[in-house]
Amino acid sequence: MAALSLAIPSKGRLKDNCNAWFAAAGVTIEQTVGARGYRASFASFPDVEVMLLSAGEIASSLLAGDIHLGITGEDLLREEAPELEGRMHLIKPLGFGFADVVVAVSQAWIDVSTMADLDDVCAAYAQTHRRRLRVATKYAQLTRSFFAQARITDYRIVPSAGATEGAPAAGTAEVIVDITTTGATLRDNGLKVLDDGVILKSQAQLAASLSADWTVQARGACETLLGKLDPANPLYGRFAAQLPA
Amino acid sequence: MAAFPYYGTSAMEALNGQATALLNLFAGHGYAREEPAVLQPAEIFLNRSGEEIRRRTFTLTDPSGRDLALRPDLTIPICREAVLAGRALPARISYNGLVFRHQPGEPNRPAQFFQAGVELLGLTDARAGDAEILSLAVEALRVCGLKDFSLRIGDLALFGALVDSLSLPPQWRARLKRHFWRAGYVESLLHWLGHGDGAAKLPGSRADIEALLEARADAPLAGRTREEIIVRALDRADEAAKLHLDGKVADAIAALLDISGPAEEALAKIRGLLKTIGINLDPQLAAMEARLATLKSLGVDLSRVRFTAHFGRNMEYYTGFVFELWAHDKEGPVQVAGGGRYDTMMEMLGAKKPVSAVGCALRTERVLAARQAGGA
Repeated sequence: MAALSLAIPSKGRLKDNCNAWFAAAGVTIEQTVGARGYRASFASFPDVEVMLLSAGEIASSLLAGDIHLGITGEDLLREEAPELEGRMHLIKPLGFGFADVVVAVSQAWIDVSTMADLDDVCAAYAQTHRRRLRVATKYAQLTRSFFAQARITDYRIVPSAGATEGAPAAGTAEVIVDITTTGATLRDNGLKVLDDGVILKSQAQLAASLSADWTVQARGACETLLGKLDPANPLYGRFAAQLPA
Repeated sequence: MAAFPYYGTSAMEALNGQATALLNLFAGHGYAREEPAVLQPAEIFLNRSGEEIRRRTFTLTDPSGRDLALRPDLTIPICREAVLAGRALPARISYNGLVFRHQPGEPNRPAQFFQAGVELLGLTDARAGDAEILSLAVEALRVCGLKDFSLRIGDLALFGALVDSLSLPPQWRARLKRHFWRAGYVESLLHWLGHGDGAAKLPGSRADIEALLEARADAPLAGRTREEIIVRALDRADEAAKLHLDGKVADAIAALLDISGPAEEALAKIRGLLKTIGINLDPQLAAMEARLATLKSLGVDLSRVRFTAHFGRNMEYYTGFVFELWAHDKEGPVQVAGGGRYDTMMEMLGAKKPVSAVGCALRTERVLAARQAGGA
């Protein structure tokens, strides 16, 4: 059994970018069980088991302590664990997978450009329509803490599994919180981002679970691997003290 | 208290005995006991209370797909029934039962606890209603054998009236009222008002605003009417021009919001501050003094009554007088009861005209623990 487990995204651009990042550090990934398998390994690090998981599963597996290391979007990590401290350590931002989690409203709402405007509209909406304004999102945690900071209380969250940007037009929500890279999808759906509505500037992160089973062998393998991936920085040393004794 | 309390025989007997004493007291004042279902349609809580309460409400889906909630309080189901049944007013209703609230980030606090309380609906004399409920809350603790407690009081109406006396656009008044109890935030709003740039980002004419909307005809209206958007856009253009608050007034209000202390001293300080800026809130201050007189007549030591200016209970439906009663259990101070006025609730639940409402609830397990620990 391998000493250290590392999960990387199993598909899409995140996967390609991960492979490129490893390759740049001189580490190549070998997929073990067929081209579409979900296990892989590093030729030069037999102690490390590489698992291919969905980006969301990587976040929840890190939180649960099922894996030692993982690469996934910071948005998913922060949504999964609103308080990262003591549960996860963000080892290194990887410079790809950039995306913003934003608050967006209809462009027809010409009177709304800030969170303060949205606060007014939420309160007026609750009075006029006798129900709370709905915010569609898959980022319920991030939305709650951001709206709380903006002192907005008169709203409710409607969980959205996909195509969140369509919710205002479909009439299933009035406002959305969603991820955007260029803003094109939002614009195509007649939406705009609020001036102060950027909740998180996210990118792919290499993260460590603090609740995984950190055996002596896992620690050793982790230090060696991180040393190879980024020889210039003592990445392991920065969080070794946080690992459970 | 354990996360999943198990009530043994003696604990249950003590709680039941206490509940009987409370319900008898309430009945003696004309309050008839009612019991809403534990499992309620989710939307009655989720549409009426904001996200703060929603995140503490346990919701579930039944096998047919209906969204249900375990009641996070009894006030909303009781008020809803009074509206639906077209209850004769004033109505006096008491209750004793379990409520369920998720405790975010505190896995060791119980998510269910008993509440006993009263609701007084539709009594037009607000001052009499405040006095009745406040007296009942104090008597209720005494009936339970808890003699030693202190009070915290506040009044959202006092600050509503203060804000209404300022020459500010209506939206700004609404915003200040909505947030006044959040210590720190109102101060920053006031500061902003003094230093706002006043530059209008939107055109001030209806025709220009309609043209702007026309150019965005493909975008969804997203739940609001065209008229709602136009009216607010006009208001906003208008308010940007008018946005200004005298620096002295802004400072005085900030100072006023900072007042917290023994109630009589605090009220005297408020009177002094209001005099310096020439604002008259005598009716609201008299109402607060009447409440203190009520407490005095009940034999409550007024040095144990604190008035906190920005205190408005962190529940989104209170509209006026608010109060909390505190005692000590063996671990330290605990809030054992709380209540206040919520005059907009009945309309939110569908009443055709405004219905005044005031009530209070006791955390009966905490009352018991405080009594057993020997009071405050």
